[in-house]
Amino acid sequence: MTVEHYYAPKHLDEALEVLRAGNATILAGGTDVMPQSESGKTPLRKTLVNIRRIAELTGIRLAKNEVRIGALTTISEMMANDLIRKHFPILAESGDHFASEQIRNAGTLGGNVCNASPAGDTLVPMLALDAVVELAAKPNGSVETHTTPLGSFLVGPGKTRRAQGELLVAIRIPVPPAGQVQRFFKFGTRPALDISAIAIGLAAVKTKGVLSHVRLAYGAVAPAIMRGSKTEAVLEGKRLTPELIEQAAQAAHDEVKPISDVRASDWYRRELMHNIVKRMLIDVHEH
Amino acid sequence: MGIAPEAQVETIAPHEARDAGTARTIEKDSLIGKRIAKLDAPDKASGKTRYIHDMNLPGQLHGKILHSTRVHALIKRIDTSKAKALPGVHAVITAEDVPYQRPLGVSKDHMPLKGDRVRSMRDEIAAVAADTPEIAEAALKLIEVEYEDLPPLYNVAEAMKPGAPVLHDQKPDNVAMTFDYSHGDVVQGEAESDVVFEDTFKLHYVTHCCMGVSGVIADFDSAGGLMLYSQTQVPFLHKREFAEILGIDPGRIRIVQPPIGGGFGSKLDIYPFEPIAIFLAKATRRPVKLIFSREQEFRISPTRQPVLLTLRSGAKKDGTLTFRTATTLHDNGAYTSWGATTPFVIMQTISSLYRVPHCKYHTTAVYTNNPYAGSFRGYGNLQATFAVEQHMDKIAEAIGMDPLAFRLKNAQDPGETTGQGMHFKSCGFKDCLRTVAERGDYLRKHAENIANQAKPERYKRGVGMASMLHVGGGAKIYPSDGCGTIVKIDDFAHVTVMTGASEIGQGSETVIAQLVCEELGVPMEAVTVVNNDTDVKPWDVGVHASRTTFIAGNSALGAARKARDKILAVAAKATGYDASALDLRQGTIVMAGTGEAIVPLAKLLRSLHFSEKADLVMTTHYYEPPSEHQDKGFKGDVSAAYAWASQVIEVVVDTDTGIVKMEKVWGAHDVGRVLNRLGIEGQIEGGVVMGQGYALTEELIVEDGVVKNPAFRDYKLVTAPEIPEMDVTFIESMDGEGPRGAKGVGEAPAICIAAATANAIYNATGVRIQTLPYTPENVYRALKGVNR
Amino acid sequence: MSTNIEIRFTVNGSPRTVAVPPEMSALNMLREVIGLTGTKYGCGEGECGACTILVDGMSVNSCLLFAVDCDGRKLTTVEGVVNEPAGARVRDAFVQAGAVQCGFCTPGFVVQAAHLIDTHGSKLDPETIKRGIEGNLCRCTGYKKIVEAITAAAQEAR
Repeated sequence: MTVEHYYAPKHLDEALEVLRAGNATILAGGTDVMPQSESGKTPLRKTLVNIRRIAELTGIRLAKNEVRIGALTTISEMMANDLIRKHFPILAESGDHFASEQIRNAGTLGGNVCNASPAGDTLVPMLALDAVVELAAKPNGSVETHTTPLGSFLVGPGKTRRAQGELLVAIRIPVPPAGQVQRFFKFGTRPALDISAIAIGLAAVKTKGVLSHVRLAYGAVAPAIMRGSKTEAVLEGKRLTPELIEQAAQAAHDEVKPISDVRASDWYRRELMHNIVKRMLIDVHEH
Repeated sequence: MGIAPEAQVETIAPHEARDAGTARTIEKDSLIGKRIAKLDAPDKASGKTRYIHDMNLPGQLHGKILHSTRVHALIKRIDTSKAKALPGVHAVITAEDVPYQRPLGVSKDHMPLKGDRVRSMRDEIAAVAADTPEIAEAALKLIEVEYEDLPPLYNVAEAMKPGAPVLHDQKPDNVAMTFDYSHGDVVQGEAESDVVFEDTFKLHYVTHCCMGVSGVIADFDSAGGLMLYSQTQVPFLHKREFAEILGIDPGRIRIVQPPIGGGFGSKLDIYPFEPIAIFLAKATRRPVKLIFSREQEFRISPTRQPVLLTLRSGAKKDGTLTFRTATTLHDNGAYTSWGATTPFVIMQTISSLYRVPHCKYHTTAVYTNNPYAGSFRGYGNLQATFAVEQHMDKIAEAIGMDPLAFRLKNAQDPGETTGQGMHFKSCGFKDCLRTVAERGDYLRKHAENIANQAKPERYKRGVGMASMLHVGGGAKIYPSDGCGTIVKIDDFAHVTVMTGASEIGQGSETVIAQLVCEELGVPMEAVTVVNNDTDVKPWDVGVHASRTTFIAGNSALGAARKARDKILAVAAKATGYDASALDLRQGTIVMAGTGEAIVPLAKLLRSLHFSEKADLVMTTHYYEPPSEHQDKGFKGDVSAAYAWASQVIEVVVDTDTGIVKMEKVWGAHDVGRVLNRLGIEGQIEGGVVMGQGYALTEELIVEDGVVKNPAFRDYKLVTAPEIPEMDVTFIESMDGEGPRGAKGVGEAPAICIAAATANAIYNATGVRIQTLPYTPENVYRALKGVNR
Repeated sequence: MSTNIEIRFTVNGSPRTVAVPPEMSALNMLREVIGLTGTKYGCGEGECGACTILVDGMSVNSCLLFAVDCDGRKLTTVEGVVNEPAGARVRDAFVQAGAVQCGFCTPGFVVQAAHLIDTHGSKLDPETIKRGIEGNLCRCTGYKKIVEAITAAAQEAR
């Protein structure tokens, strides 16, 4: 289908009005929408809504006990932001592995969430950091918003729970508790411009060698970014020992459900899960 | 419009020519070995250069090709009626609509438009010319094709089974080509051996990835003459072949070569898109432009030849090589392009890189329904060197010799003639070996790494060495290996060099200009090189076999020397000095001894042009190298000079992930002589990184005849942060035949990298991996001993 | 065929008004509608950087940018970059360092390099340069001379 209507609203209100009618493609940075529509993988719908001029979707602010990141925040802006660097260093770090500078300058955090790639670079740390997404809609003439945890928002490759008429307006991440350690790993032979074969995010509170509030997120090993709940259960409340670390690494190896594709086989992805979770935990243990 | 009439009154009186009172002297200053900026670089870096993609002719249409969706099938029906009815479509053609077409390629087994049968996913079955690329694309979708699937052949083993489906009727056994070579008696050689090894090496598909995608513009004039804007590396050979394919008088074909976005051998053969664009231009009587998408570039352009190579080598305990037997099996793909002929080069390395008294070589190239391989920088030599140099390490270890000493013992020396008849007039091989070993601290590291193999560290360090032999003075694979040059100098001392050589980004026009400037004593700014029009430039075989600097350079040098002789003769006559007492420097005739300026060259030329016996300085030279066409047994001194190189590579292997990091590459290259230092460094560095991609990151994944990764996202070219540190030393062996001593270098730097990396990984881990590429998963599996 | 959308923007300092289909990329608009062919198509998927341009001073892949999204923005292509003294220095550094071979990727590198120098100034070190150009592919040079060229141009930027 070819595009019949193009809108570039300046206010959220207008955008939601257009989206209410349905059959619309939402455009922000364009870095996913353009190649996916060009290749025919996800054709453009009848209406193209360019949300990039909506000021309400920009900015990174500390509110109460969480940081609210506007959906239009580019990866470059996110990486340079002091709040992000202070509270969520692994999110900033994931940006450093994200595509290339040209794409980081255009691609948005909201877009990375809505593209829902199983290998989405920023999704792994955000899931480990208990991020929630804020969605807005205008069902009955007034703007309504609600939030949903990132983990349940992401359903499968390219699939989210965003309902028709809804727009993802922000990502909110709670300010980490004291003593939280964070780690991020993206497998690749080069710093960036690489689609993950696996990615791992870890957040946990470390008190006298004991881990609690353990959050592990895995990328590219399941249809959507997944929480490593079985590995978390192995670690939660326990003192890190070489035996426990090996047990956790094995749990990570066993609980992922990777596929084999041109980038890696399922066997290799599981091996990497084991080896990297192990290295990560040794690093946490030693520092 | 007219030229300044003052020129006509310029005369030079004998012995009074010196500009009175100036008494300027000009020192002799050589350009050879200097860092000369490429002549085409300023426009390229400004976005001003017009590549074929940037050209649009008035009235031009856009062509698109419909490719097969089946690996192997009969075409039962093609219906183009809906496509023809689409507004904006000017022609839709199939094999039936083309009045005349003949097969193309090395074995003439490849019809541009396939009429009754497809043999690969890249087969062309119909084409459209339309007002825009979008309309042409839409029209392709309206073409209905009905297929009847035939049993496919996905690999060489299946294709060679008795009773396998026959892909080309003229080859009932599916064997596209065979090569046999031998010297000495390998049975005797084996009997004399203390150690013998046999191993099989598997080399993968990679592709050129020229940054500028393939394209062509075809246009006929009203009298039926064809103007082709082409990316070809071999315009004169292609004139002839186009004429045969299309049934056109070759004299009516003019090929213009706009600057190209990378060649690397990919444009050495005609592929169907070019004749198809010509058919469309003929059918519509309009210029037709046909440009690939990047995905098409991956799916449809040629690859490097994948090879299964079994090598058997032996040596005596004292380190003398005794024999070498190599058998290679080539997946020929559905049709035959240059990849099939890589045995020409493979056998050179097998027979002649080291002194091998007894040698035997056999190749079978087998048709399958896979992609076909073309020529690609290094042309079989990466594959051969990968095997030979791993065996060199293996044998050295078995007989307890250090790998450098073992190589030095068997390395060729200047003056030798090999069993294959290659005569090494200049040969810096041993210098190359010693230089890289010393600069890379190879022996110490090699021993230290072996001692560290058993330690439990995650990261293992390794060094590996490999060397190569390649033609460096052209390659007489055709009856001619020549190149012509025309030099003309205008009234303002501006020099135009019309060379047969093509510029493909490698810097040939700059080095040719440099050689001419050196000879004529004019600055680089005074030279224009014309090299892109077959109606203007003289004959040349083309850009291949690292031949351009050597062959076209010698040709340009010859024409420039004739021009210089003429200028000095004119100057002698005008000034009364003996020609031998005069020299040309900085656009001025000077006294050779003192450098004293006599008369500006421009003034001298005007005086010649406008004299009573008016004449111009315009010279021609044709250079044919003193090399031999090989005999039927592939013996003969095929090149006028041979290039040598050794490389040492240091890697770090992450045993947790299999990631191999290439940290540093030391290279020593016998290049004869450095002409343009900037250009030659660029060739080496680019070649090293291309070799790095071959070794570590690149693989065109072909499964069941289908390319699975037709995009840069999954076909990984090396990016800037991954490049190794590079340390390059030039060994100047001053080749007697080379232009000012130089030899060819274009292919050399890529050739050893995979082989040296293999040896480095072995040195780091004790695991020898004989299958490329060394992607993390492949290496990790090898370390764990787990096959796919 | 969809309706064309009229957009206004500046390219290399000059105001332009064009009507483009909403599906069109900025790359195609620059090349086919405006006729600025210095910006190259290398892959159309943001993987090679040959189409790099500056939009409001930030470098982006023009193949991933919708032409309609250029409305109201400031575009600079390689032709504009080398027309400014800083960009001309980058171009000259590429020429002098031997960082150009086939040259097809070069405009994208020159634009990205100009952006890196604009962002980091003379503090730009080789490691930062390598990361900064990781989105630009070159098949000819092996990148070494490109890094040297950008280093030299950054030194001159002081």
